[in-house]
Amino acid sequence: MHARHPILTSSLIALVGFLTVCPVFMLVLGSFSEGLGTLGRLTLAKYLRAYTDPALADILWNTAVFTVGSALVATGLALFLAYLNTRTNIPCKSLFGIISIIPMMIPHILFAVSWLLLLNPSNGIINLLLRQLFGLDRSPFNIYSLPGMILVEGLLDLPIAYLVLAPAMAAFDVSLEESSRVCGATTLRTLRRITLPVLRPAILASVTLVIVRSLASFAVPSVLGLPGRIYVLATHIYLIVATGFAPDYGLAAAVGMSVLAVSVSLVYLYRHLTAEGERFVTVSGRGYRPIRIDLKGWRYPLFAAVAFLSFLLILLPVLVLVYTSLTPYSMVPSRRALALMSWRHWREVLRDPISLLSLKNSLFLGVAGATLGVLLSLGVCYTIVKVRTAAAGVLESLSFLSFSFPGIVIGIGFMWFFVRTPLYATIWALLIGYIATYLPYGLRPLTSAFIQIHSHLEESSRVCGAGTLYTLRRIVIPLLMPGILSGWILMATMFVRELSLSVVLSRPGTEVLAVQILRFAEDGLWGRLSALGILMIGISTALVVAASLIGGKLTKVEAPG
Amino acid sequence: MEIRISDLSKSYFSDGKRIAALSEVSLTIPGNQIFTLLGPSGCGKTTLLRCIVGLEAPDAGEIAIGEEVVFSRSRNIFVPPERRGLNMVFQSYAIWPHLTVFDNVAYPLQVRGLPKPEIRRRVQETLRLVQLTGLEGRPATRLSGGQQQRVALARALVAEPKVILFDEPLSNLDAKLREETRKELRQFLTTLRITAIYVTHDRLEALSLSDTIAVMKDGRIVEVGTPRQIYFDSDRRFVADFIGRANLIEGKVSAVSGTHTLVESAIGAIACRKEAGLPAGAAVAVCIRPEFIRILGGDPGRRPNVFRGRVASLLFVGEACEAEIRIGDTTLTARLEATAGLREGDEVLLHVDPAHCMVLSA
Repeated sequence: MHARHPILTSSLIALVGFLTVCPVFMLVLGSFSEGLGTLGRLTLAKYLRAYTDPALADILWNTAVFTVGSALVATGLALFLAYLNTRTNIPCKSLFGIISIIPMMIPHILFAVSWLLLLNPSNGIINLLLRQLFGLDRSPFNIYSLPGMILVEGLLDLPIAYLVLAPAMAAFDVSLEESSRVCGATTLRTLRRITLPVLRPAILASVTLVIVRSLASFAVPSVLGLPGRIYVLATHIYLIVATGFAPDYGLAAAVGMSVLAVSVSLVYLYRHLTAEGERFVTVSGRGYRPIRIDLKGWRYPLFAAVAFLSFLLILLPVLVLVYTSLTPYSMVPSRRALALMSWRHWREVLRDPISLLSLKNSLFLGVAGATLGVLLSLGVCYTIVKVRTAAAGVLESLSFLSFSFPGIVIGIGFMWFFVRTPLYATIWALLIGYIATYLPYGLRPLTSAFIQIHSHLEESSRVCGAGTLYTLRRIVIPLLMPGILSGWILMATMFVRELSLSVVLSRPGTEVLAVQILRFAEDGLWGRLSALGILMIGISTALVVAASLIGGKLTKVEAPG
Repeated sequence: MEIRISDLSKSYFSDGKRIAALSEVSLTIPGNQIFTLLGPSGCGKTTLLRCIVGLEAPDAGEIAIGEEVVFSRSRNIFVPPERRGLNMVFQSYAIWPHLTVFDNVAYPLQVRGLPKPEIRRRVQETLRLVQLTGLEGRPATRLSGGQQQRVALARALVAEPKVILFDEPLSNLDAKLREETRKELRQFLTTLRITAIYVTHDRLEALSLSDTIAVMKDGRIVEVGTPRQIYFDSDRRFVADFIGRANLIEGKVSAVSGTHTLVESAIGAIACRKEAGLPAGAAVAVCIRPEFIRILGGDPGRRPNVFRGRVASLLFVGEACEAEIRIGDTTLTARLEATAGLREGDEVLLHVDPAHCMVLSA
């Protein structure tokens, strides 16, 4: 039996409530204000200007095409992969697990840049190669286009779509399909008439989730959209605050309000769809054995397609970055390119004070932010799972609220807040913003860890003569360790590569890696960008490895005495 | 170690309603015995156990273990569970999944900071007792249900606690294993001469394991006695009905003779075991257990308690036949020999020994 802990619960509600409600509240207030300095004098002028802008129609159309297109690409590919993995005898299934996890480690901005380096019309490596091979005088591909953006964003969101679809596909009751086959339908017809319709809630959930993600996406629209003058809402907001002599945060807030509204309603729809999906796709526990469809002659061609996809997703971006960081300018791989390779870009980056500062800042934000974020998540999860009062329910809905907040919009909201505090333009502003926006990612693994600890496990330790602290050290914390670890790793890697929030909140002196990489991209310094990008991937990987090692050591506490 | 509980009350709130889990429970649990709290689910037996072990604080009353008062509301005493010197086997076993069998069992000794060689020796000893030798290095989750149960028992025994509490420890085992474990447990606890408090809703478990049984209902102790007293001598309807299968026949006391109490009922006059202090005319119920109903073959002669009935249904359950026999409007359940050769619809003569007819007055 757990105590009700009213003080803990209410202070957590205050803290989490501040983190999630404050930026939204400030965003609303800001959208009705005249300017950062004159908060409080309410006006509708910003809304009028924002929504009578003649360019807005194009921006909205682009946004719709970009988000829906990415959602269709990601969901289609994920469906294909999930079906092959769960239902057929395709070889080398471990590859699918890698596809669904590893791309999340590659920062989105670097992924977008690597495609830019391959497919941009003036000197993209693949374009150059094709021009040389076939003697073309124009580049065949242009990544600075809506289809280019959709392709890259779709690939980036593929893992998310896969993680939504694969469990639904695995939980699918095969007898539904078997009865269709018994009725005389072919495999293909069964797929079309039975499998896909039954999976519809999961498919719609995946589409909705990817739309939310691509609506909030800033890396792809900024790296690929801005050079081609293809603006979506996220870049529109960015341009309002980042260019010109007087950035208009009120106007940005007014535009951001509609992005926030759409995002929140889509997440609501997503919740509804997953709940419906659980009802619709039933897992039959007993005698459940999915039939494997024999691909016969298609086995290896399909495997080759999957292998190619994983190459595109995982290896290619890193290879392109390594190659670009070593060559003096963009060129087709050749003996001459090999001869010209040098460490010049690396030296330049390591001598560049701003790049070094951004490395230091990002590392600090990753380690300190993830540690504080996990500590907060521990308290919140304990309250949600173990205390379970009505107030704990309030805390739960509050803490998952920020899941639907697009980074750049929430950044604008925080901007309105921080400018009024001494935290403005300090690293602490970024730290608070990060934790507020990414809190759900820390909560998810910790909640499931807490749920697994039956209260009897603690109680039996007490009965065995152990006090509260001893129980905490030897029973509770070791059992929580896997959850703490994955929460920390998730948060740390996200913080190291964070872009969309930082692009608003970062100021001279508080540069972070992703923002510095964006600056390099804007200046066309691809060599330095690649070198810094590889350092960024290196830091993320090092944090993951270090956390796993320390966590593994902490779990195996030697018995004292 | 004797445990004395006096006027213990505990209530909790659920859906805005106040529910009394324990109302003014007073009980003395004798030392070096197996004492069982028996009752239907929700009767407060687990709450009482958790109050004794210190995982819950009662609203009122006092608990003393031996000479030490571990809880008293009026004197504001609450000794936390880790300092009560007890141990407990949980219904879920509560085996720690991240520790090996050895570390699970060694835990109570490690807590006390004993030297390593002694811990090793005592853990080995205890594991031998529960027949788990050789499994020390195994992760505790990679054990069968029965083995996990033994680990939980070993962990409870290893520090030689004054009292061990058991919260329905056998309910997660399958039927056959449960029977075997019950026998073993009885053997352990009697050879170790340990005070054990055992909570269960399973009457067979209670009857076969216990030295003393306390029957609970709605947060109160209804009756305390040896298994035989509870089974044969209880004069309370709830206890008689709960502890075994019973035919309860309503009636009135018509006369009290030197040897029997006579009860007038719907099936006729029943001669019962003599119950002093019941005046003629008192409303009572007669309890007849199914296994004491006999079918008479020939002439009944002049014995009492012979009734004529008809077999309404027969159910073959392996070692016996369960028959429903109608006598007028009353249906009695009887447990007959499987080889009795009766058929549904047969007319039969029943006989019950007056020594097995109990008068229930409360």
